[in-house]
Amino acid sequence: MNWERRRLSAIFLVTASALVSVSVAPAAAATGSTGLANLASAGSLQLLLDRYLGPAFVRASGDRYQNQSAGSQGLAQEIVAGELSPNVFLPIGSAAMRLLEPRFTRWAVRFAASPLVVAYYPRGPHAGRLKQISQGKLPLKDLFTLMARPGFKLGRTDPALDPQGQGFVEMVHLAERYLGVSPVTANADLGGASASSQIFSETGLDASLQAGQLDAASAYLPQAVQLGMPYISLPPKINFGDPRDSPIYARATLTLATGQVVHGSLLDLEVSELRVGGDPGAGNAFIRFLLGSRARGILTRRGYTLLSPTLLGRRAAAPGWIRALTQKR
Amino acid sequence: MTIPPATALSRSSGIRASTGVALVGALLVWVALLGPLLALLAHLTPRSVVSALRQPGAFQPLEVSVLASLIALAVILLLGTPLAYLMARGRLPFPRLWEVGVILPLLTPPLVIGLLLIFMVGPSTPIGAALSRIDLTASDTFFALVLAEVYEAVPYYVLGAAAAFASVDPQLEQAAGLLGDGHWRTFRRVTVPLAAPGLATALAVTWARAMGAFGAVLIIAYHPFGLPMQIWVTLQESGLSSALPFALVLLVVALPLPVGAFIWSSHARRRL
Repeated sequence: MNWERRRLSAIFLVTASALVSVSVAPAAAATGSTGLANLASAGSLQLLLDRYLGPAFVRASGDRYQNQSAGSQGLAQEIVAGELSPNVFLPIGSAAMRLLEPRFTRWAVRFAASPLVVAYYPRGPHAGRLKQISQGKLPLKDLFTLMARPGFKLGRTDPALDPQGQGFVEMVHLAERYLGVSPVTANADLGGASASSQIFSETGLDASLQAGQLDAASAYLPQAVQLGMPYISLPPKINFGDPRDSPIYARATLTLATGQVVHGSLLDLEVSELRVGGDPGAGNAFIRFLLGSRARGILTRRGYTLLSPTLLGRRAAAPGWIRALTQKR
Repeated sequence: MTIPPATALSRSSGIRASTGVALVGALLVWVALLGPLLALLAHLTPRSVVSALRQPGAFQPLEVSVLASLIALAVILLLGTPLAYLMARGRLPFPRLWEVGVILPLLTPPLVIGLLLIFMVGPSTPIGAALSRIDLTASDTFFALVLAEVYEAVPYYVLGAAAAFASVDPQLEQAAGLLGDGHWRTFRRVTVPLAAPGLATALAVTWARAMGAFGAVLIIAYHPFGLPMQIWVTLQESGLSSALPFALVLLVVALPLPVGAFIWSSHARRRL
């Protein structure tokens, strides 16, 4: 009996040690699949990529495609932590790409911009005035007055995590400077002391606006188009969508809860191939497709502002065909 | 009838073999369940835990989570117990329909529950308007957090409590009635004590579910941050090494109640 108990204990210990070592051991080196364009992309690009660009790429190249979309900053953090191993990274705004340099990449191509707009619910109590503003029948400054009214339900994403969330706050500050919005109104636009009640996850924000639980929300222009929501366009000086106004955007600053000071920057779409993600051939092929005429046609139709491809970072580190295709910054 | 010694020996070794197989199976499941915790411990250093917890306001999400989950638990206990009891005793018309009503939220992904709650209790809905008259808003508030936790956790309690009530012999309740006890007194003095071990287990599972609620919370209660949201936001903001200490805090804080409930439940079962 004693022998039996010892035998069971031995089985227990051997199995437990085997399982523990399996669960705690670091993951084996990533094994990339041949012919797989494995993307990590900004959350707002998911529909564009999965419904339009991804299938078009698969048809054109014969390679396989998979994409994970989430907040750009969060994805970059997951790549740094080794949780994700994509071979193509496609964030909005340059901050997330900078997190991966120089370990995962030394270059990126800027190829489009995603200007900020204010989307609104078409049957809400303020929809009439918002529509008039969108049509230019009322001055844009009225938008900021309206958003500051008590009871106006405005939503935006988290500035700590999302370039759009940062861009919206910076946009309101730029509106003070360039549209003559008063600081009091600007502060009220951003919720004043109860600012947190305006902040939603990206998914929650879209759903709340579409369900009519918000009067208006921050959005990228293509996002508003894809959601089928009406929107108010903002002038290039404050919409973070025109590279010529980059010096103006940089004047807007925002201090995050962590104490980090963030400067406004162009809300651009950047792409780079990462050194961690398996098959470089398919990643390369996807970027080539993305910068080609067919993908640019899709981008235009979905509301993105096309920019001449510009190589950022270390020019010498980029593949030759990208150097040939892109302008110098 | 006497069993020949050879047959008895072979039966005995057969039992030992099947016990060994069962033990290995149990161990596989146990270690597999503990795997993520072991991985968490393997990737944490005391310095990273101290550093994360020294951040200003680091304990606020903990307070928010504990308070919201306690309130959610109280609401679930108060509202879920009568439903569970009536389901267990078959006193509801169309019983399958009631069961489906309880199981449906369990089958619905928590994220979808959050999305549907927007349509149901969002500020511009009739329920939302009624709530606003008593200064409550089910969007980005502490109330929204409690609501999301209740929706994610309530089926676990109702199903567990119904099973606990069903295990109580109805004849004991009838005997108490014959001795002059009213319905409420019988419920309090006979049904609940006999069902208590099962109820404690149901409450423990419900507590764990409420503390870990995330999907519906992400949609309707981004603020105020509870611990699961803090983990997600920290992961996005500063990366894995900063987020994992909060996962440890969540486990350490959430664990005592279920463990206590399981221990008490086990003792209570032995006394019955």
